[in-house]
Amino acid sequence: MEGHDNDIYAEIDKIISLSGKDKSAVIPILQSIQNRYNYLPREALKRVCSISDITPAEITGVASFYSQFRFEPAGRHIVRVCTGTACHVKGAMLVREAIARHMNLAPGASTDEKRLFTLENVACLGCCTLAPVVQIDDITYGHVSARMAAGVMKDFLSRGSSGKKPKGVIVPGGDLQGEIRVGLGSCCIASGSNEIKEAVEESVMRDGINVNIKQVGCVGMCHQVPLVEVVTEDNGATQTKLYAKVSPPDITSIVRHHFSPPNLLTRIKNSITRLAENIQSDDHWEGIERYSIDVREKQVASFLGNQLPIATRHRGVSDPLDIDDYIDRGGFAGLNRALTMEPGAIITAVRESGLRGRGGAGFPAGVKWETTASQPGGRKILICNGDEGDPGAFMDRMLLESYPFRVIEGMTIAARAIGAREGIFYIRAEYPLAVRRIARAAEICSERGLLGDDIGGSGMSFTVTIKEGAGAFVCGEETALIESIEGRRGFPRPRPPFPAVRGLWGMPTLVNNTETFAMVPYILDQGGEKFAAIGTPGSTGTKVFALAGKIRRGGLIEVPMGISINEIVEEIGGGIAGGKKFKAVQIGGPSGGCIPHYLGDMAVDFGSLIGAGAMMGSGGLVVLDSGDCMVDMARYFLSFTQSESCGKCTFCRVGTRRMLNILDRLCSGKAAAGELEELEKLSHQVKKGSLCGLGRTAPNPVLSTLKYFRDEYQAHLEGRCPTGKCKDLITYYIDDECIGCTICSQQCPVEAIGFRPHEKHDIDTSRCTKCDICREACPAGAVKIR
Amino acid sequence: MVKLKIDNRQITATEGATILEAARAAGIAIPAMCNNSDSGHFASCMVCLVSERNSGSMLPACSAMAGGGMDIITSDPAIVESRKMALELLLSEHIGDCEGPCRVSCPAGMDIPLMNTFLAAGMTDKALETVMNHIAFPSVLGRICPAPCEGACHRKGIDAPVAVCALKRFAGDNGKRTFTPSPARQGRVAIVGAGIAGLSAAYYLRLKGISCELFDSSPLPGGALRYLAGEGKLDRKVLEEEISFILGSGVQFHPGTTVDKSRFTELALGYDAVVVATGNFSEDISHWGLTNNGKQVTVDKQSLQTSIANVFAAGNVNRSTRLAVRSAGQGREAACSIARMLEGGEPAGQRRFNSRVGRLRQSEHATFMKEASAVARLEPSNGRGYSPGEAASEAARCMHCECLKPEGCTLRDLAGRYGASQRRFGYEERKTIKKNSEHDLLTHEPGKCIKCGICVRLSAGNGEKPGLAYLGRGYDVEIAVPFGESISGAIKKSGALLAQSCPTGALSLKAGKIIKI
Repeated sequence: MEGHDNDIYAEIDKIISLSGKDKSAVIPILQSIQNRYNYLPREALKRVCSISDITPAEITGVASFYSQFRFEPAGRHIVRVCTGTACHVKGAMLVREAIARHMNLAPGASTDEKRLFTLENVACLGCCTLAPVVQIDDITYGHVSARMAAGVMKDFLSRGSSGKKPKGVIVPGGDLQGEIRVGLGSCCIASGSNEIKEAVEESVMRDGINVNIKQVGCVGMCHQVPLVEVVTEDNGATQTKLYAKVSPPDITSIVRHHFSPPNLLTRIKNSITRLAENIQSDDHWEGIERYSIDVREKQVASFLGNQLPIATRHRGVSDPLDIDDYIDRGGFAGLNRALTMEPGAIITAVRESGLRGRGGAGFPAGVKWETTASQPGGRKILICNGDEGDPGAFMDRMLLESYPFRVIEGMTIAARAIGAREGIFYIRAEYPLAVRRIARAAEICSERGLLGDDIGGSGMSFTVTIKEGAGAFVCGEETALIESIEGRRGFPRPRPPFPAVRGLWGMPTLVNNTETFAMVPYILDQGGEKFAAIGTPGSTGTKVFALAGKIRRGGLIEVPMGISINEIVEEIGGGIAGGKKFKAVQIGGPSGGCIPHYLGDMAVDFGSLIGAGAMMGSGGLVVLDSGDCMVDMARYFLSFTQSESCGKCTFCRVGTRRMLNILDRLCSGKAAAGELEELEKLSHQVKKGSLCGLGRTAPNPVLSTLKYFRDEYQAHLEGRCPTGKCKDLITYYIDDECIGCTICSQQCPVEAIGFRPHEKHDIDTSRCTKCDICREACPAGAVKIR
Repeated sequence: MVKLKIDNRQITATEGATILEAARAAGIAIPAMCNNSDSGHFASCMVCLVSERNSGSMLPACSAMAGGGMDIITSDPAIVESRKMALELLLSEHIGDCEGPCRVSCPAGMDIPLMNTFLAAGMTDKALETVMNHIAFPSVLGRICPAPCEGACHRKGIDAPVAVCALKRFAGDNGKRTFTPSPARQGRVAIVGAGIAGLSAAYYLRLKGISCELFDSSPLPGGALRYLAGEGKLDRKVLEEEISFILGSGVQFHPGTTVDKSRFTELALGYDAVVVATGNFSEDISHWGLTNNGKQVTVDKQSLQTSIANVFAAGNVNRSTRLAVRSAGQGREAACSIARMLEGGEPAGQRRFNSRVGRLRQSEHATFMKEASAVARLEPSNGRGYSPGEAASEAARCMHCECLKPEGCTLRDLAGRYGASQRRFGYEERKTIKKNSEHDLLTHEPGKCIKCGICVRLSAGNGEKPGLAYLGRGYDVEIAVPFGESISGAIKKSGALLAQSCPTGALSLKAGKIIKI
């Protein structure tokens, strides 16, 4: 045991020697310990306390506050079920239950007995268009259903055992989109078609396309090898196209030409393994022009047509870390202009642009900058808030990963405007690639004299460092974020004093969202008026949204402010998929609200959204159809904010819990008369009596659904869920369409359906756990919900 | 200097002062709970919410800085509603009994746990004094009371309730009675009926220094108690002794004096207050001008005031329950109401809030038994009372479910003041009760914690190593010793300070009760 302790001591001493003994280092220290041990061993924490300034109260307080940290060893593999909004509406909880059942988890446990898997929820993996999504280690499975849960786990293990560990997205199920034939005749093999085949598999997996990959023998055109033949079905007619002399780098382009991923922008979401910036663009089609392909499909045109990229300018065209390319395309023009301007003039330009903070509340950026700039004292600090934690939002990640130079440029401009010499990126730890990209981009900028001393010969100095968050949604709130950087629990501070006056380490601090900074280079380059001309007078410029839910084409979009909801849903999103009706759109995630379809003409801008009881939030936009239960939606968001409350203010800590209690009671048919009114009263009090934005906006999803969909609440009060989403209020049954095939019986995990071939099956409702597997499995559509 | 308005008054506050500090400096009271001047402001409980007119927003006065030009309102219906709800939310997760369930169910409100403490320590006189703070007939009721307290005793669910009634008898029979009235006060009170209610009213009026006269149509005092004695259900000698002790406190007794309608009117006009304690309601009483329903006189439940402002009705005349202990308690209650009224106040006293946990769970029995004697309930043998040793042993069976901080608990005081209901948000099953008594000085009851963190900051500020820490987040946040280590090692110097600074009974001094006395 002593030897074990000595090992730990040596490790900890090493970690401390790298991170320092200061109290503010506590989060990086904990992260290093967890990286090393996969959890936080007690002896390790005690060792930290004995050789640093950090006290036991501080280290345990901080470690238990952030959800990234574990106190028990985890399993060998981590299974993360995405519980983001898009996944939720597509049945993520059913998937989670199915996985837990497959793992044979004891109630409350998250690791199986053999410590093979640990099951976790993750707020959002940012693959909203592949929903529901499950990630096992670094493999992401899309469109997972309860029925496929066991298969996914087995698939993962089979990959591990064969020694192959492909990273990527796998989309089992769904309709077969076609077939890709790779010639594996001897000529083909000799010409390298094995590599081609691997490239095809990789490409298909990455894009989440469901095709049959077939190895075919010699097709006789050996002079043209390697060969790839693509077979597609178009309106019943089979079309084939043969590509000759293909090399592995061509494959992606070929595959993408023929097969749209379940929807186009799936590819963006695949940024877990590969980056958004590589797509959304034409360049991938450029490479295969020699095959004379008509690239410009209609849906691509309409998807892109209404968009206006500013923060995401030149998307997909350049390598995110290719600074020359960035400069060639006009990068750093804004900074160069700013370097010739007086700080006051920069602030004026930002004020004129009308730019409002993109993080949620929409506070005018120019005002914040001016306040910070006007504070006395030499030391001012700039923070880029990349602690994006909303379920269903991944704009900041995409910007940090794909446009690191643009964000750095925006920050440097702001630094000049307010007179800051130090900048901090606060980035969610769940975004490791963003962290790496920003770190590398900052290095490159320093090498080029764009960061550091005497930037661009202007005499200005500015450096940036990166702080990783540790899993606390509340740290997106600027004062909690500051507490976190200082190495404490993310308890928000009362404002005033505002961070602009007294922020990090007591210094005037400017905190802006990542997207806000990404808008700044354009403003300086093109002028504030030009930015102000876009959008509406009260909400200028563009906004990046993560569009997901029940639409045909989801993805990350950047649109001018003031665009209507209908334009987003119908034109960009291609309308509702699956024959259902557009019901509502949830904007702004847990701080936002649900706007009903009949307000679809409403302009999306700060004022209109607030007026309608929603909020811009950070920009999650989830489209709901007639099958979605609005009470369940409210409950979903509230359970998120409730679990993310820091626990400081009574109204947020206990009040959101009581709201959730009532919503749980509604969804299980236990609520009594008068509880809707109680829910409303609680909502208003939680808004009024909470200190920070989390509590002050947490009731919005409830209040907005109560406002527009009160009849659904009323129905739940009477014990009915009109959409059949609330498990406790529904029953599964089999009707006369049953063909007696026994598939449901074989798949039922709880033996609730008797095995009676050729007879109509029945569900024993006393055993049924409503896992939905039978309904999904039934080939005749005979399993119904009442 | 900062100029602002608080409750429409122009106030000048020092730079950096909170709204609470500015208001207090100007003599304006704002309730506060999580605020502690030595530990810095933190803003968690939200009972100090005030509203700012210009912005229309609510602010926690304890942490929000007083700003120039602010227009603060410290109380209006919306603020009261918010504070009340904050308290109700805190109470919805508050697990503990303010008073023992025995005391809560005693119609006379006798402090049973305290009596038990004294008896267990062999302090019989103090035990009797405790009983007589609420009950003027300890020996009588120690024999005839049906003891609703024992029905409510948490120990009942473990083995058998503490024999409270027999213990009370022991105190009454063996303790030394003393009568130390308050200095004489203005006011004369007439009491109609010398039964247990009327005699009790007389005793407590005398104790408060108020002179009183007792009228009864019978030649002897005692009312219905005499019938019991007559039937052999009550030792006549015991009854006589207790009545004569009461009359000996300076009560003017008028035996054989029938009070009818006209005599009643004279009393009501001629005396500062009248207590109607006739026992039975009668046809005649229905014509006295007191609102009644033909069966009983209608009274305000708290003050026992009738429809005539200076007339109070106690005992069976306002509801026939035939429960002697209730009549005894009401006699005392009427005396207290009259005392308040004679001082110019409202007759009804402040109703105290009582947190309740309901039934204990099996899993909680061990926690409660830790400090109680495990012996079985002892019944006094054959009509004789306990011996001193038996009484001490039986009294030591009390688990002391009552809070160690029934006084000085801000949560209880504010909950009473704002009329907060503990059940309003009772949607969830309560958490398990935990009581940690391993520390010499302190008892830690996490279920009573409001998570304000005063103890976390004070223990750090006083150099405690390791002190206390916030653990977890959100609803599940708790305050505990880091690494799950013992509280004895964590708090070495500041125990008394932490107990005193804790706004609830989450951290309290173990010997709180005895020290207080």
